[in-house]
Amino acid sequence: MLAPFVLVAPAVLILVLLRLYPLLLGVNFSFTGDGDRDGAMVGFDNYVDLLRDPLFQGALRNVGLLVLLLPVAVAIPGLLATFIYLRVPGHRFYRSVYFFPAVLSPVIVGAIFNLLLSFDGPVNSILGAFGIGPVDWLGDPDVAMFAVVGVHVWATFGMALVVFLAGFATLDSALLDAARVDGASLTQVIWHVIIPSLTRTIQFVFVTTMIGMLTSMFGLLYVMTSGGPEGSTYLPEYYIWIQQGQMNRPALASAASTVLFVIMLVVGLLQLKLLRRAGRED
Amino acid sequence: MSRVRLGRWLLVIPMGLLAFATIYPLLFTANVAMKTRREYILDRFSLTDSLRFENITTAWTSVGMGRYAVNSVVVVACSVFLLLLFGSMAGFALSQLRFRGSNALFIGCLAALFIPFQVIMVPLARVMADSGLVDTYPGLILAYVAQFLPFTVFLMTSYYKTIPAEIVDAARIDGNTVYGVYRRIMLPLGAPALLSVGILNTLFCWNDVLISLLLMPSADHRTLMVGVTSLRGQYSEDIPTFASGVLIAAIPVLAVYLFLQRQIADGVAAGSTKG
Repeated sequence: MLAPFVLVAPAVLILVLLRLYPLLLGVNFSFTGDGDRDGAMVGFDNYVDLLRDPLFQGALRNVGLLVLLLPVAVAIPGLLATFIYLRVPGHRFYRSVYFFPAVLSPVIVGAIFNLLLSFDGPVNSILGAFGIGPVDWLGDPDVAMFAVVGVHVWATFGMALVVFLAGFATLDSALLDAARVDGASLTQVIWHVIIPSLTRTIQFVFVTTMIGMLTSMFGLLYVMTSGGPEGSTYLPEYYIWIQQGQMNRPALASAASTVLFVIMLVVGLLQLKLLRRAGRED
Repeated sequence: MSRVRLGRWLLVIPMGLLAFATIYPLLFTANVAMKTRREYILDRFSLTDSLRFENITTAWTSVGMGRYAVNSVVVVACSVFLLLLFGSMAGFALSQLRFRGSNALFIGCLAALFIPFQVIMVPLARVMADSGLVDTYPGLILAYVAQFLPFTVFLMTSYYKTIPAEIVDAARIDGNTVYGVYRRIMLPLGAPALLSVGILNTLFCWNDVLISLLLMPSADHRTLMVGVTSLRGQYSEDIPTFASGVLIAAIPVLAVYLFLQRQIADGVAAGSTKG
């Protein structure tokens, strides 16, 4: 009778102690002070500090930028998966090559692109051959965030590609054949057959790509830009790290964590709603 | 028909270029790692004139990547072992043994899947510090287990749900205890799922940098990925040694990818279709 509880006990114990308890503790932390006011309740002071901090404002602006770039980050693997599904010559090869960067750590990817994107590096040499540049990819505050996001997309599109292909596997191929017999063009097939049949997969990719952008770019930021130049590549997760690890302001960092959690909830719910509405209109 | 054919062949060019852009960065790094500093400064693109492994040896010994690699292997091996053990135990209980609260537990696990590490990292660091676990192997191992357990339990539960209840019933009638059923039936039957979840967890733990940076700060205890981040400051002038360090950290993952590509992709796909 006791056996089921014994079997789940280690998992439950670990999750309660190291995930649930810290979550509650963190929300509580965010209402206490740092330094001299350690442990004292300070109400919403941390949140006020947070919203006044130019670095955090920059981090929020960058989150906005990520939301704007999200459709591109989803469309690229979606299109590639479509071509692979339609059996472009060499589709097996592309499938395995494209997935490859997805297994590399962001730290390794970041270190490699530090070499490639340096001012006198290969990317600028190649562009120079066409008379473009040189561009200071990681040193120009207007460019750096785009460079980092571009590298993130390079590193992760293979993951979304595999998810799309798993969705395609459930697609009714009779529908595609019918469309083709009727003489539909590729764009028409994508718009009227593939997108409506893959709504669930597309939703899933949208949400996981956004979560990925908000929670797995730390390694890239840490290695490629350290938040610079001029704080232009801060994201909430990097801000949390800096306040906790370098500035010794854990309470402020906790407030930023809570804001990040809320952003993720809002973004997730909003996207589901928008996509559901789009799905209904089709 | 011929127009469709032509269209398909036209796609080969951009897709081929993209494929090249996917592998080239690593080839470039591997090539640089073989060069001398002089060779690199004179021409960074040319193929190295000989396969030189001095830079790799330097990175392994004097840079300390060797020691970091040992730290990584110990931590990742222990974490994945515990993840698979606890994950399969809980997955078996949640899928095959109906008990009070099993549904609530499964939903709780699903919810935990959506708590990103960044949201709990500050209080977790405090909890770890209070228990004296910062900068110790057990501390980092526990943090990894906690981080990837929800995903593991979720996939193991989904997998064990596909095993007919009659198998468990029959084994019980034959006189097995519940633990016996777990050990003699569930573990062997779960092997394919354990393999693919194990590979994914190995990649997650091996590739992590944020958790180990937070919980293993001292130079002696660095994991390989934290070691890579420290290369940047120290070897920004000596690019071939830098590239060698990066290569050392990438090679195990590359090997895993070359041999187990199918399982990795299937694992990712399984996670998405069951979600």
